[in-house]
Amino acid sequence: MDNQIVVSTPPHVKSNRTTRKIMIDVIIALAPAAICGIIFFLVDALVIEITAVVSAVIAEFIYFFIAKGGFAWKFSDDTTKALAKELKELKKQNQSDTEKEAKLKEIKANLRKASFEKSKNVCKKFAHQFDCTSIVTGLILALILPSTANWYEVAIGSAFAIMVVKMVFGGTGRNIANPAATGRIFMLISFSIGTFAVLNIGNMDSIVYTGATFLSDEATGLIATGSADAATLFELFFGISTSGTVFAGCIGETCKLALILGYIYLVVRKVIKWWQPVLYIGVAGLMSVALNGFDFTLFLPYILSGGLMFGAIFMATDYVTSPKGVYGQIVYYVCLGLLTSLLRHFTGIEVVSFVIVIMNLLVPLIDRYIIRKPFGYKREKKIKENKEGK
Amino acid sequence: MKAVKGKLLLGGVHVPDKKSLANAAPIEVLPPPQKVAINLSQSLGRPSEPCVAAGDTVKEGQVIATAAGPISSQVFASISGTVKEIKPLVTEGGVESRFIVIEGDGSGEKQYLEPLENPSADDIKKRIFDAGIVGLGGAGFPTAVKVAPKTPVDTLILNGAECEPYLTCDHRLMLEHTDEIARGARYIAKSLNVTKILIGIEVNKPECIAKFEAYDDIGVVALKKRYPMGGEKQLIYSCTGRKVGIGKLPADSGVVVQNVATCFAVCEAVELGKPLYERVLTVSGGAVKEPKNLKVRVGTSIEEIIAYCGGESSAPKKAILGGPMTGIAIKSYDLYTKKTTSGVLLMTESEAAAEEPTPCLNCGMCADHCPMHLMPMNTAFYANAGDFELAAKLGNTMSCIECGVCEYVCPAKRPLIQAIRKTKAAMRNKK
Repeated sequence: MDNQIVVSTPPHVKSNRTTRKIMIDVIIALAPAAICGIIFFLVDALVIEITAVVSAVIAEFIYFFIAKGGFAWKFSDDTTKALAKELKELKKQNQSDTEKEAKLKEIKANLRKASFEKSKNVCKKFAHQFDCTSIVTGLILALILPSTANWYEVAIGSAFAIMVVKMVFGGTGRNIANPAATGRIFMLISFSIGTFAVLNIGNMDSIVYTGATFLSDEATGLIATGSADAATLFELFFGISTSGTVFAGCIGETCKLALILGYIYLVVRKVIKWWQPVLYIGVAGLMSVALNGFDFTLFLPYILSGGLMFGAIFMATDYVTSPKGVYGQIVYYVCLGLLTSLLRHFTGIEVVSFVIVIMNLLVPLIDRYIIRKPFGYKREKKIKENKEGK
Repeated sequence: MKAVKGKLLLGGVHVPDKKSLANAAPIEVLPPPQKVAINLSQSLGRPSEPCVAAGDTVKEGQVIATAAGPISSQVFASISGTVKEIKPLVTEGGVESRFIVIEGDGSGEKQYLEPLENPSADDIKKRIFDAGIVGLGGAGFPTAVKVAPKTPVDTLILNGAECEPYLTCDHRLMLEHTDEIARGARYIAKSLNVTKILIGIEVNKPECIAKFEAYDDIGVVALKKRYPMGGEKQLIYSCTGRKVGIGKLPADSGVVVQNVATCFAVCEAVELGKPLYERVLTVSGGAVKEPKNLKVRVGTSIEEIIAYCGGESSAPKKAILGGPMTGIAIKSYDLYTKKTTSGVLLMTESEAAAEEPTPCLNCGMCADHCPMHLMPMNTAFYANAGDFELAAKLGNTMSCIECGVCEYVCPAKRPLIQAIRKTKAAMRNKK
């Protein structure tokens, strides 16, 4: 028996799942959408994706570096100042003291060394704790932007998402709203990024119905002209028309097939529960059907258009900003669906990011008041009622 | 009777069981040690009162300490010899407790109780108390209290789930002593005046299920392999569909649960008059040379047990008394077994979890897998902030069975059980 032995509270075995592994799973699930984006929008998409991810990681690093004291360099202290003063006095009298000069140099070198050592340790700490969450945030942000965004706008938006939305609140697990969704809203407000495509039902705008968004023109538009036919659904689903024209829209949101592949991967890896996106999309679809006089032909084009599917699969299911308990989650996804279809109906613009952020802010309330009852709770309640009845 | 399938649990987790390390090793008897140190705190409740003094000669099976209070049990000499001293020693839990140290004389003289023939219900109850039998599953609740429930009971469930990974002592016991367990169960059923006996066995022990199917009066329930299937409330739900209310005892739902090892001990106590001074435990783990199932006397030192199994094959990262999900990590082998010690595990670095915690992600996996449907992340969050009242309220912590599932599944490796215990202690102190 040696001193290597570890003592801790049980359990002494743990699953081999870690935060980093989960995040890598999410990145893999996002890969089909990212690749589709590159195929559809070529270099534009590639530049945006790379810029967003790199900017997110650098932003996290810079924040971490400053917060952990990586910049707390100290190149001089009282002794060096005193020595420097003495030397200056000597120099004024055209004299020099080689011994003191050497001493000053040595102390300064030591200080510099210690400072850099400290910075190096902070870097090492960063690498140790880096859990890939900022890569996920950057990638998601890139995928919900139109390909027309400028690279510097993307970089600023991505840095905002990480620094202000995530790191300021305390880093991984502490942010109160989805960083990517907030980053997109920030870019919409600051740079009017794709005010056109962000109404990105708007996919439809440029190609199918120039000048009118799908949703604001819902009743008269697509359906009324009878174009909710197989061809349009095909275009909505694959993000590309049979003739090979690519939809205008956000990089990752156009090809629904890629999103569904990602969804299947996440469900198989048990990162998300299968019913979560289904509940969100289903409620949103049914609600909009109800708002439009129970016209069920609207259901498919509705759920296939815009960022609904992407938001439901990758953004609403974000662990940090969704409720912890099962019942809370059900409330959350139903509310998301209702809000999405209501706001879409009355504003006519794409609102998924806004709705997700609004619901994120309500999550603490949901968590506070919807708590699952422990195993065996019902029984106790029944007994009480019986007693009262007697 | 033919095995029926158990009800599925909502929650729980599939833990790799690693039972193949020791489940083929037949039960061996560890030779009586030269010296034993018997903890006077063998069960829940107050420590027993010693009734021998230093210098007394004792025989194997002689009472050396009597029960002090309602939830306490008799303690027996596990070897024949002389009482050397009664002194406080540090237990595996890190606290001090009084121990009776007996130096063996090697004569092996025995002093058993009178064997009973055709005992009545009261005879059996008295014998269970006199033989100092406690629940051998781990908690160590005195069986004498359990067989005298305050509410009417209609079912006796035998716990053969053994859902803890690594442990195989109940598995071997069910294979090698099937008949004794069945007879013991009948005695307990008689003392409780019930006729319905069920045994719950996880499906990873098909041989045991087949063996118990041969008995007509015992209903076999094949439980799905899922930790913590052997938890009392979970087992009752899986076998009978009844839910035990919060803060209630199983007897309130008309059920009494007994471990199979307890049934074996009851059978021996009734038929041979042998008090409970030895038990079967599993020595396993990747760092043990020869994993074994051993019949070990109470008070044997851990060092001796490991030496008998060939010692360490490599430097262990963790040494555990009990199972890996609920057992106690120990720092030295200078400790002694109790009636409730069900295993000695030495785990290598690759087996034992010693990862640093990372920030909580709010993923909710702990709540999804909790067999008691609690919210451990709330407990941890508010306990860290020092607000234990809110921690207990929002996490429903007082219903926690400390099975360890939440911490097992946690991807951030948060120390949840620690927070739960802190909260429980703070709330108890408050009352």
